Amino acid sequence: MKSLILKPGLIPGMVTIIASVAVWQVASLFFLPVFLPGPLYLLDLIVEVYSDPASYSVIWKTLVRIFNGLVLSMFIGTAIGLLMGIKKHFESFMDSWIMVLLTFPAICWAFLSVLWFGLSEIAPLLTIVLIVFPFVSMNIWEGTKALEKELVDMATVYRADRWMMLRKVLIPQLMPYIFSAMRIALSLSWKIALVGEAFGVSSGVGQKLIYWFEDTRVDMMLTWGLSFMVLMVVIEIAVFRLWERHTFAWRHQIAN
Amino acid sequence: MPIDQDNGHGNVVVSVNNLTKKFPNPMTGKEFVVLDSISLDVEKGNFASIVGPSGCGKSTLLNIIAGIETHDASDGGTLDVYSHSDDAQPRVGYVFQNARLLNWLTVEDNMTFALESQEIPKDLWKERVDKYLEMVGLEGQQKNYPLNLSGGMQQRVAIARALAIEPDILLMDEPFSHLDEITARKMRFDLMEILMHANPTILFITHDLGEAVFLADHIYMMSTKPARIFKHIEVDVPRPRQPEDPEIFDLEKKLVKEFFSVLDAQAIEDG
Amino acid sequence: MSEKATAVSIRISSIIALLILWHFAAIAMADAEILPTPISIAYAMVGVLVEPGPEGKSAYFHVGVTLGRTFMTFGVAMVLGIAIGLAMGLRKVIEHSVMALIPLALTMPTILMVFLAVMWFGFSEIGSLVAVVGVVTPYVAVNIFQGAQAMDKSLIDMAITFRASRKMLIRKVYIPQLLPYIFSAFRFAFGMTWKIVALAETFGIKYGIGYMFFFWFEQFNMELVLAWIIMFVILMLILEHAVFARLEHAAFKWRPANQLQT
Repeated sequence: MKSLILKPGLIPGMVTIIASVAVWQVASLFFLPVFLPGPLYLLDLIVEVYSDPASYSVIWKTLVRIFNGLVLSMFIGTAIGLLMGIKKHFESFMDSWIMVLLTFPAICWAFLSVLWFGLSEIAPLLTIVLIVFPFVSMNIWEGTKALEKELVDMATVYRADRWMMLRKVLIPQLMPYIFSAMRIALSLSWKIALVGEAFGVSSGVGQKLIYWFEDTRVDMMLTWGLSFMVLMVVIEIAVFRLWERHTFAWRHQIAN
Repeated sequence: MPIDQDNGHGNVVVSVNNLTKKFPNPMTGKEFVVLDSISLDVEKGNFASIVGPSGCGKSTLLNIIAGIETHDASDGGTLDVYSHSDDAQPRVGYVFQNARLLNWLTVEDNMTFALESQEIPKDLWKERVDKYLEMVGLEGQQKNYPLNLSGGMQQRVAIARALAIEPDILLMDEPFSHLDEITARKMRFDLMEILMHANPTILFITHDLGEAVFLADHIYMMSTKPARIFKHIEVDVPRPRQPEDPEIFDLEKKLVKEFFSVLDAQAIEDG
Repeated sequence: MSEKATAVSIRISSIIALLILWHFAAIAMADAEILPTPISIAYAMVGVLVEPGPEGKSAYFHVGVTLGRTFMTFGVAMVLGIAIGLAMGLRKVIEHSVMALIPLALTMPTILMVFLAVMWFGFSEIGSLVAVVGVVTPYVAVNIFQGAQAMDKSLIDMAITFRASRKMLIRKVYIPQLLPYIFSAFRFAFGMTWKIVALAETFGIKYGIGYMFFFWFEQFNMELVLAWIIMFVILMLILEHAVFARLEHAAFKWRPANQLQT
């Protein structure tokens, strides 16, 4: 007999979700849908939007930008984080600049990109990279601090084989940090991409958001916004489940 | 020192009678007996020690006396702690295995935390802090922070804190077990000196028979699962004691033998 | 040279190196609309600070508006977040109910939250308040809740054996343990709030630093956009690091020197 073990938190949690949706639906009856669309109304709109094939190219454009920004941020961030861990002087040099970069609002980069390059693919890319790579660097740098002694030993003993050591020994040990850095990077990148698109280009989901914002259409804005959020969450979960299984396969092997 | 009052309980500070505590086991539904009919009395000025292997419920008994846990009153067991001062409420001091100091307060403030909790008048605070810090050998450390002190020193502060409220009973739960042996030995000596000067009433838990024999006036030997007191011994050796005293040594040997026989009998019982 | 002096000199020389590089790059580009020289930016900044700006409003006015909004919204968001976090720590029901909605709150992109807040509550102080609370409060609540869960039970037991009153428990045992969590939430939340307020201002909430960003952006005035951005960043750096770092240092002076964490 399979007994259903109810997690203690399940019931209040579900009650809260159901109640919130119910309250939302009721509240929406008091307003025009363009101001406060109810959940059912939104679902209809979402179906409508996603029945239109043109929508998919919009989303695809955004996804490509996110991917590019993420990959570039990870490369630059990891390289810088590693260097910071290895060379003390570089660390002092970079950490102030990283501090400065972390204070920049995304919107500033979007504006600057447009002023420099006009409305182009550069705006969202630059915005994503300049906001995200500092976070990645900090994460990787933390990881190197945990391995510092081994870095030094490695560097002195196996001078000829340094690149091999880097690839085969260092990076696998840094994997958990790279992993967690990438989760943060992905989560940030898609949100920043929206800002970059809102100001920097004339296509993509971000552009749709600002278009409907300026048209004061909450319903259309939420249609694009909420559905994209759901899509990104699904992607985040899928990518990380898969990656974790692949990268840490060696741990499972040892366990068996 | 507070004057003895005739409160009808004579010299007894803590009286435990047939105390039982059970834990319902959520997995099996059966009850797990933690303490089984414990009875003991601690008289004023005495050092009583409960000795038993780890995990036999000794800490639970102390927690019940201190009020952090409850016992099963329905089984007819009683626990009484009597005040021997002018206050109606008895004062209980507790020294744990870890110092449990508030690391964000100075040594002095840690002690006044206890004094304030016990509603001891503010004008008495300074003299108590100075007096008891000196007694544990930490004079001058008032303004220091706990994290700047060694493990042994932190434990001394914990002892000073408990003594400063001038408790009717001082509970000590294996207070030296987390210290290295050399520091622990020194602490035992210092505790013995405190005994000779301040004469507190102490209920001391340990798994170390040697420690108990060295420090205590009364030893209660406890077995495990369930926790039962199977023997009570008085230690008549005058203080100051030395760990190498032949009397101490012989008594320890004798008690160790008794312990082993009880444990063996229990193993056979459990089968 | 001591290690610390080396670090400082590296930082200073990197700033100087950057300025020199910038200067020559700007001259090479010879297009002030793309890359003005550092000197012209410096002039522009002085001008901004000294002269009354568009609509006769001075730089101090705008900075004041943004600062005021930031502190007000930050204060409300923090208080709400702490209250919810504590409530979550005290009652399991609240914990589970709130945690059901937290993923949504934390996933919501800032830009969408700002759009919604402004569309529903207007281009006003209320709009900016809702936007900030919507983004910052969930984060603070979760942070404080984690702090409440990490409470050291052994210290609470100790205080109970000494019969400490509820007030003493709260003041001397609970709050000091929550303080590190409050501080870390504080710093992160303050940084977030600045950015949200600036974003809301660029979208049309009147006046403030963000408003100036957008104003000069629309005029394609690179010099002034850069001037305002630099002033914003400097102001934020001063607040985040000089002020908060000092506060944090004072609050945690009981930690031994070699364990000081920034």
